[in-house]
Amino acid sequence: MTSDQSLSFAPPEVPAKARLLFVEDDDTLAREVVEELSARGFAVSHVSTGQAGLDAAISESYDLMVLDRMLPLLDGLSVIEKLRSQNVQSPVLVLSALSAVDDRVTGLKAGGDDYLTKPFAMDELVARIEALLRRPNDTRATTLRVGPLDMDLIDRTVMREGREIELLPREFRLLEYLMRRPNQVLTRTMLLEDVWNYRFIPQTNLVDVHIGKLRRKVDGPGETPLIHSIRGSGFMLRVAL
Amino acid sequence: MSLSENSRFGIFRTATFRLTLAFVAAIICGMVLQFVLLFVQMTHFEAERSSGILHREADVLVQETPERLEYQVRERATNDLRVVINWVGLFDGHYRHIAGDLKSWPEGLVVDGKVHRLTLSPTDDEPYEMRFLAVRVPGGRVLVLAHSLHLLSELRYMIRRGALLSVFPVVMFALLTGVVLSHRALARVKTMHEAIDRIMQGDVHERLPAARERDELERLAGSVNRMLDRLEHLMDEIRDVGNDIAHDLRTPLSRVRARLERATSSPHDADYLNSVIERATLDLDQCFSVITALLRIGEIENGRRRAGFAQVNLGDLVADIVDLYEPIAETNGLVLTNAIAQDPATSETMTTFGDRDLLVEVLANLFDNAMKFTPAGGRVTVSAVSTPGAIRLRVADTGIGIPEAEREAVLGRFYRSDKSRHVPGSGLGLSLVMAILRLHGVDLAIADGDGSPEMPGCAFEMVFQLSAVSEGA
Repeated sequence: MTSDQSLSFAPPEVPAKARLLFVEDDDTLAREVVEELSARGFAVSHVSTGQAGLDAAISESYDLMVLDRMLPLLDGLSVIEKLRSQNVQSPVLVLSALSAVDDRVTGLKAGGDDYLTKPFAMDELVARIEALLRRPNDTRATTLRVGPLDMDLIDRTVMREGREIELLPREFRLLEYLMRRPNQVLTRTMLLEDVWNYRFIPQTNLVDVHIGKLRRKVDGPGETPLIHSIRGSGFMLRVAL
Repeated sequence: MSLSENSRFGIFRTATFRLTLAFVAAIICGMVLQFVLLFVQMTHFEAERSSGILHREADVLVQETPERLEYQVRERATNDLRVVINWVGLFDGHYRHIAGDLKSWPEGLVVDGKVHRLTLSPTDDEPYEMRFLAVRVPGGRVLVLAHSLHLLSELRYMIRRGALLSVFPVVMFALLTGVVLSHRALARVKTMHEAIDRIMQGDVHERLPAARERDELERLAGSVNRMLDRLEHLMDEIRDVGNDIAHDLRTPLSRVRARLERATSSPHDADYLNSVIERATLDLDQCFSVITALLRIGEIENGRRRAGFAQVNLGDLVADIVDLYEPIAETNGLVLTNAIAQDPATSETMTTFGDRDLLVEVLANLFDNAMKFTPAGGRVTVSAVSTPGAIRLRVADTGIGIPEAEREAVLGRFYRSDKSRHVPGSGLGLSLVMAILRLHGVDLAIADGDGSPEMPGCAFEMVFQLSAVSEGA
């Protein structure tokens, strides 16, 4: 985190003006989120009830829905179930004030694609929206190539312009995750959830230490740094594509 | 319910008094039954006795010659045998009166040598009952002997009088006892009501009079007192936790407030304002982490939700978390060792039934703790000891340790040892660990760790019940 310039993050690769539907009954919070998302280049529509959200999602096509779990009358999970039964397949990010693992599981089971607990950092929300909008690279490929990095998923080797990078299994997993999502902000929670499959908030800078170790191996002396810390939000594997 | 309302109930509405009434009813029934039986027995006995006398008299008189018999009948009618056989009469073959004080043939009397009980209705007197015996005597005559029932009616009268006279004092005595006992019970209940009223008015230290719990009322009062003790303890705990929460939230919030106030009071450049906002956000995040941790503990403790329970291999779980924490241990200058044998045979024996995500949180919290309180150069070790049906998992460090006196307190909410005041954290990590372990039915014990006498370190020991792999649900 130390050596990196702080970036004001503007998503470079998002398809022009992704259209989002935001269903949230707290109007003050909704206004802030809508303004923030609009400032970051999304076209956001906001409705405050589950029924209105359902109607909007069925009548217009959105690239993604952000849905509060607790809505008056028609709750978030029912909205998702109804949408899926109407064959609306746009990804859904569920917001909730509940944090229990059970709720998370039911949220995802109902057809939500990701789950975020309130209160959340705006960067976390944006990073997750980005991640949902951009599906990772083809998962069947046996090699990944991102900028100067080559990864062989069968031999478990990584090369950077002819230099072999020796990685521990956990470092390999982390780099693979980064390489599948280049130029995309990845928050600490996302890494912990997706790379390690853990859902707790560590009291220590765990993820930073892991990234730091990986970075020392990937970005050798004199080489252009690839792994960047995005201040306040997370990390990014930045390459010119 | 107020006290004045209670006193209106009076002793007649006490359980003791109702019980007394039931006993009185039972006593009356018993006595009635007793006297009825006595009466039946006496009636029977008197009837036997009078029949016997009639028969014996008749047997004697039948032996006499007709002249002697007539003489005897006249004698008996006028002289001393009236008491034994009240009346006697001698009739001819056509039931016409010959001699004796029985002047006319009793209506309905049959001459068959058996005793008959008949009612006579003389025109000039009240109807009355007598026992009659008619026998044929020589000369074609009929002798009638009659015996009055006056002895029986006297017995009846005596029994009735006796019954009434004895029932009355018995009932009165029982009622009196009932009233006295009810009054005592009512007085005791009243003192209990008063105590309860005082408790409801807020005097949480008040207790019911239970003395030495000699009877059921005092035993009940004793139970209520123990319940009140427990409730009071819980209330204290809740109040303490409430105070602690308020305090823990107040500190970062007052920092935020001070910073924001200073930022608005005078013009500052953008960099300064940015840093103020950033630090305010961090402080707010600290508040949220406290709130989130509390909510999670509450959910785990109250919900008792076990929906996420499945077979979890502790060996794999520990290995994964050690792998996650190894780099940070290294950065902190610590050696993190997983002393659990990494072979399939050992791993197979370490399956328990639990919620993987929650158990991860337990280990992560224990590791976070160990990292925080162990100075560079120290060791953190995870080990496991198998016992039949269970496994003891131990996370030990060589850090500052926890003094024995504080070991129970650190598991409570918000407790932070004086030695750790400077270390950041929500103060809820171990509470969360406790809540999760309780959900899993696992005990947590704190012991000395692997350090030297000056730096004893700290060891957390958990005993997990192992499950057969087939166990479900």
